[in-house]
Amino acid sequence: MSPVTDLSLDNWMTQLRKGLLELAVLNAISAAPLYGYDIVRRLRDVEHLVITEGTVYPILSRLKNSGLVETYIEESQEGPARKYYRLTPRGRDDLHRMNQHWDSLHRAIGGLRKQGKR
Amino acid sequence: MIEMTPAARQQLDHYLQRLRSELRGTRPEVVEEVEQSVREHIEVALEDAQTPVGETEIIGILDRLGPPEQWLGEEERPMWRRALDGARSGTDDSRLPYVSFGLVLASIALFMEFGFLLLIPAMFVSRAWIEQKRERGEPLGARGWLAYPAIALVLAFATILLLIGPPLYAITLAVQDARQLFDVPATRAGELRFLTGLRGVVFGSWWIIAGAFCAALIRPIRFVFAPLLERVRRKHFALLAAIGALLAAAGAALIYYRH
Repeated sequence: MSPVTDLSLDNWMTQLRKGLLELAVLNAISAAPLYGYDIVRRLRDVEHLVITEGTVYPILSRLKNSGLVETYIEESQEGPARKYYRLTPRGRDDLHRMNQHWDSLHRAIGGLRKQGKR
Repeated sequence: MIEMTPAARQQLDHYLQRLRSELRGTRPEVVEEVEQSVREHIEVALEDAQTPVGETEIIGILDRLGPPEQWLGEEERPMWRRALDGARSGTDDSRLPYVSFGLVLASIALFMEFGFLLLIPAMFVSRAWIEQKRERGEPLGARGWLAYPAIALVLAFATILLLIGPPLYAITLAVQDARQLFDVPATRAGELRFLTGLRGVVFGSWWIIAGAFCAALIRPIRFVFAPLLERVRRKHFALLAAIGALLAAAGAALIYYRH
């Protein structure tokens, strides 16, 4: 792919969203354990994230294999048993650092934008 | 298990089949886990739906899930799948390194049936692709590793042929003449010393010629075997000529002191 194509806005936004998906998934389950469909529903409601629902499951599986997330099954009165995802202590620690990094990156870009407006 | 119409069941089965095919090559526990999650997702999404669930509802849910082909990022796919997909769906230009690598594999498989000749077109394909990338100012990236083997193998054959081929042929011709020209010792040790000396002279002399020849043609050599020989300098060929000179001198000394 040529650098010119790489720089197209659509492609840039897609890459940015892809990069942020793991952070979004981890944040979604940080407050309380959630089952897959619920995670998807929450992420679907995040403006501009524009996810393909299926992409969430391979991410959850990868996060679990990396030891950042663990699962447990809980019976549901409304339907089939659900697999809940929750952060492990290591996942919580990593998420804290990822959020810090995201904040500092956001501030740094904000600073650059302010300089650009002067 | 949610009750579905046969058409809806067929849609779901087809989707899961595509999913398994797309995840092929990833670890089995990942495949199993993702498939289970998708089944659960569909069941939860349909828990308020009227049964038997129809084809339209299933298609709507599967559309929102998205095609499994989009699920895995390029870097998450196993290397062999990336190579296969690249060869299958890439642009014509991006297929060139795969073509080159395929020809290299074919040349190895058919080596005894003159398959080694396939290395020549493989090298042309690799070089064409590399030059094209350079003209566009694009990095070779990981596909470079598919293009290098053809160039490296042709370079290895050419080097062996250049260093050993002509002197080996010359020695077979020169031995009889040398026996007539020189007083070859009758003892086994003396004859061995003479023949070793002769080999040293022939190989050494040829390496001096080859070193000078390659030093004179350094630009075309660098170009033909780029990027592997881009750092080669005249001093490297001068070193070959110097080794040749030492070998020839040692050979001459052995012939002189053959008795």
